[in-house]
This record gives sequence, C-alpha cells and structure tokens, in this order.
Amino acid sequence: MTRWRKDFLKGIIVSNPVFVLVLGLCPTLAISTSIDNALGMTMGVTIVLLGSNIIISAIRKIIPNSVRIPVFIVIIASFVTIVSLTFQAYFPDIYESLGIFLPLIVVNCIVLGRAEVFASKNSVFYSIADALGVAIGFMLALLIISFIRQLLGTGALTIFGNELFSLPGLVEHPLSIFIQAPGAFLVIALLMALFKHTGVIE
Amino acid sequence: MKNSKAKQALPILVLTVVVLIAVSVLSFTHDITKAAIAEQKDNKVKNMLKEMFPSIENYKYEDNLYTISSQDDIIGYAFLASGQGYGGEIEILVGLEDENTVKSIIIISQTETPGIGARITEKSFTSQFVNLPIDDIALSRDGGKIDALTGATISSNATVNAVRETSIEKVRLIKEVP
Repeated sequence: MTRWRKDFLKGIIVSNPVFVLVLGLCPTLAISTSIDNALGMTMGVTIVLLGSNIIISAIRKIIPNSVRIPVFIVIIASFVTIVSLTFQAYFPDIYESLGIFLPLIVVNCIVLGRAEVFASKNSVFYSIADALGVAIGFMLALLIISFIRQLLGTGALTIFGNELFSLPGLVEHPLSIFIQAPGAFLVIALLMALFKHTGVIE
Repeated sequence: MKNSKAKQALPILVLTVVVLIAVSVLSFTHDITKAAIAEQKDNKVKNMLKEMFPSIENYKYEDNLYTISSQDDIIGYAFLASGQGYGGEIEILVGLEDENTVKSIIIISQTETPGIGARITEKSFTSQFVNLPIDDIALSRDGGKIDALTGATISSNATVNAVRETSIEKVRLIKEVP
C-alpha cells in the first residue's frame, strides 16, 4: 500500500504533469481561460487516462515493443471517442461546454506519456494510482492557471454561470491579454518560475 | 527461419487484433448511443424553435428551412446561417417573422475570443436583431441598425453578414414556393 500511495502522490506535485514534466501544454494553453473549461477538461482527461492506463497495463505483456505506440494511440483514441459519444448522448450540456476540448484529449501528451512511462511497465493496481495522481496534478495546475487568467482577463470569477465575485475597475477594463494566447504563456511561465523559486517544485 | 518469420508477424497480428477490438467496441458504442444522440439534437432544435416562436405547434424541415406553423397558419421561418469569425465558424439560428422581418437570432456555436468576440452570444448584441427589417441588417457604420461590439468588429461583422446573406437567400426560396 505504501508503494500505491507513493505512485499516487508523485503525480500531484513532485512530478506535476504541467509544471514539472511540462506535458500537455497545448490543451493547457488553449482551455485555461475559465474555471468551467478547466473542470470539464479535467473530467475528460481523468476518464480517458484511467481507462487507458488500466487497459494498457493489463495487456502490457502481450504488446510487442515495436508496435506499442500505435497500440497506445488506438486505445486512447477509442476511449476519447467512447467518452465523447456517451457525453453527447446522455450529458448534452457537459458535451456542449467541452466542445472541441474532448477530441483534443487524443493529442494530450499526458495520457500517452503515462501509457509509455508507467502503464506499460507496471501492474493495473499501480497504474490506477498513477492515473489518479496525475489527473489531480493536472486539475490543480489547470485550476490555478485558469483562476488567474479568468480573473485578470474578465475581471470576474464565474463558475457554471454563477458569478462568485468581481473586481471593480477590472470588470470595466479587463486585461484581456490574459484571456488570449500570450496571456497563457505569461501566466504559465510566471507560475513555473514562482514554484521553482519557492521550492514547491524542483 | 520459420521462427523468425513468426516473430516478425507477431507485432502486425497484435496491432490488427487491437484495432479490430477497438473498431467493434466503437461501433457497439455508436449503435447504442445513436438514437439518444439523434434525439438530443432533435430536442435542441425543437427547444430553440420554441424559444423563438412560443406559439409553435408544428414545423416542417425542407431544403435547410424550417417552416413554423400554428393551427395550419405559417407563423414564421427559421434556418441556420454560418460565417467565418475571428476564431472560427459562427453558427446562428435565424428566425424570420415574414419575408421582410427578422424575428430573432440565437448563436448556436462560436469559438470567438472569450470576453471580446464571444460577447456576440449576449442578449445586448442579439436583441438588436429582434423585429429588424432584413434591409436594416448591417453594422451602423455601413448604414444598418446593428451596433458592433467594442473591440470585436470582426465577430460582429461576421454575424451580421451571415444573417443578412442567408436571410436574403432564404427569402428568395420562400417567395419561389407559394
């Protein structure tokens, strides 16, 4: 159980997928414009990551080394399609708000990275720990980034249509660069520098 | 020799089997979700048409045109319009009261910049189209009655152009069929 805990905890801070491994930056840059998007993306990535980690670790011994990457991609893409069809059919509201981000999970390096680095070398039991830890680490990173971008870029914090609070002055003149692509680079770079400087990450 | 050939074939075999399994799982998922997805899409259209025409009783869909009726009287038309915005395609449902007047519009999907172009979905923008004569669908700087969103001229322009051009095209179609 201690190893399970270790595999679970490492993905959250020590090898945080966004700030330490610097994986999956493309979707991170694209969707961290609001807390809603961050939560939706986290949900999609968690389901796909958990599913692909379980299947890949279960069949890891019969996958020949030379075709492992295509096999991983097929499994990941299948999971994304299943999630996307299921959401579309039974949770149309969530599907709507996720929009383009669901299919984007296929090209999320975090999922493929965990398959290659962890699930293909470890048992199902530990691969579940790994998937959950990495998913939480991804969620934390997305929430921090999108919190800053949404607040500075729109002057208010809105979650699922409810405005939590707004900063007077910023609402009338939001720093809209933060909601655009350059703002994403700025925020991620500054956060990474801050975390490294304070020793949160190495 | 035989052994090494078998060895070479193994990766191909495994990949083929994995793809076959994936394809069957996907087609199975597609089969069981197909009906629900079609229903969701249908419901979505119905709800939007009801929002536009509260007294709707029936509608007919032909040539990409919804003809809305209530007690055998045609009370309006609706159709989809799309235009190229700043961040991608903007899809709009346009409702016409008659051949000359817009009833209202609903932005169905857009990928404009949040906080700037994405404000085309807000009521303050879309309400400008309510009961607007088709001839007046243009930005005010072009002599129309629509005020562009500050800082989002491209998004505003794309919406206005899509609504005007598609409306003119559909009105021609409506007038052709008595």
